[in-house]
Amino acid sequence: MTRDSYVFVGFLALFALVNTILVANGALSLDWDGLGVIVAAGCTLALYSFLYKDNPLFKFAEHVYVGVAAAYVFGITWYNSLYGEIIVSYFDIGEKGANGGGHNPWVLLFPTLLGLLMLTRFSRKFSWLSRISFAFVVGVGAGLTIPRYLSSFLLGQLEPSLAPLTLSWAGLNLFLVLVGVITVLIYFFFSVEHTGVVGHASRLGIWFLMVSFGASFGYTIMARLSLLIGRISFLMDDWLHLM
Amino acid sequence: MDRLLNIDRRIIFIFVLLGVAIPLLIDIHLPIKPTPTVRAVYDEIERVSIEDPDRPVLVSFSYGASTMPEMEPMTRSILHHLFSRGRKVVGICLWPEAVGLAQPIMDELAAEFGMKYGTDYAFLGYKPGAQAVVLNLGQSMAGTFPFDTAGTPVGDLPILAKVQNLKDFSFVFDFAAGDSMEFWWIPYGQEKHRFPFAGGCTAVMAPDLYPFLQSRQLVGLLGGLAGAAEYEALIGVSGSATSGMEPQSVTHVIIILFILLGNTVYFTTRRRGGKA
Repeated sequence: MTRDSYVFVGFLALFALVNTILVANGALSLDWDGLGVIVAAGCTLALYSFLYKDNPLFKFAEHVYVGVAAAYVFGITWYNSLYGEIIVSYFDIGEKGANGGGHNPWVLLFPTLLGLLMLTRFSRKFSWLSRISFAFVVGVGAGLTIPRYLSSFLLGQLEPSLAPLTLSWAGLNLFLVLVGVITVLIYFFFSVEHTGVVGHASRLGIWFLMVSFGASFGYTIMARLSLLIGRISFLMDDWLHLM
Repeated sequence: MDRLLNIDRRIIFIFVLLGVAIPLLIDIHLPIKPTPTVRAVYDEIERVSIEDPDRPVLVSFSYGASTMPEMEPMTRSILHHLFSRGRKVVGICLWPEAVGLAQPIMDELAAEFGMKYGTDYAFLGYKPGAQAVVLNLGQSMAGTFPFDTAGTPVGDLPILAKVQNLKDFSFVFDFAAGDSMEFWWIPYGQEKHRFPFAGGCTAVMAPDLYPFLQSRQLVGLLGGLAGAAEYEALIGVSGSATSGMEPQSVTHVIIILFILLGNTVYFTTRRRGGKA
């Protein structure tokens, strides 16, 4: 046996021992709640074991997570939408039928048909039919997205960026935003050689970008640590009852 | 010096683990000061509670299990605030995973404040379609969500009796772990119908959303666990976000020290002409 095999077996034995002690002293109950905590603790430790190195326990927990999440999403989508609205509406099943929900099932006919055409991708002979659905999605998507994005992200953001400057902290913030926007735009303007004034402005733009990347990175560290804190809190409180 | 430059990453992991575990066991009591963006959400809920008490509030849940430690504390604190002010709340999900995560919290907090299902709050569940759902909500609430999660037609829920579409809500709040706030709610909802809109998001997303505060497309923003902790401080509840701030701060110090150490060793080695 290799050293990693000993670590693997030792980890499993230690996990079993800890759970036996927790159940024996009453910290964990021998019911579905207690079993849920043990499974969650085991999955958490198995996934974090990747920090030591890739191993079968990590792979098992990773695959279980992907499988469970996919099945859960399918279940929710099936019962809420596919069955709950489409099938029930067409066949008028129980109170959720066409009249119960105030839905006209014929309204759903066209989108249902387009959805079914998407599935023809699985057949070589009929896959061309899926282009009708994709054409609809692309056409409607572009038609909806372009004006909404122009309004929200371009015009909506231009307005505060060009607000009148004042001699106050708010005015200083506005000035910094304005300088940042202009210099970063200059940095991404490649039709003019970045020398002289344009070069200086472009370098200032890089500094603004660096600060922005730094802020994003800082927030990312905070986010990842928050997730770690959540899991360690669970292990120490719900599982080991140390807190 | 070379050993310090090639430090085993697992040593850093151990320091981070200790930085999280020890402050959870030992209470350090670090002050939490709410920032203006978080306070703005609190003020907006207070404002609509006084000025617009009859119309319900819409909360949208767009997160999954992988972001639960960040999103659950802010879900609890926002719902706690809304229910404590007697606000009527309608919950919807734009992520399928959110149904099982958000509904128990909503039911628990509603029961704590004696809110009655159907009259004071409702949970309509998940609807696929992302931005299409938001777009449809702007036209017809009942057309988009014909039933709640129990299968009750929305027409039978008194809380939605006067709600036709998004404009009939006094305030909309989105809990986002993905694109929902920036690419679904703002362009297809808030910008189109101009309702008061705020959100809570994971810390990773927060920098991308700050420009929407300046343009007032967002009234306020809760960014990550820190945002949730600040909100807990505002409503006077010490929850998991508040207790999470102590390990967060300690671990940040550890990471800053490692960054300083790495840079010091790097520049010292380079000045001596060594391999850097």
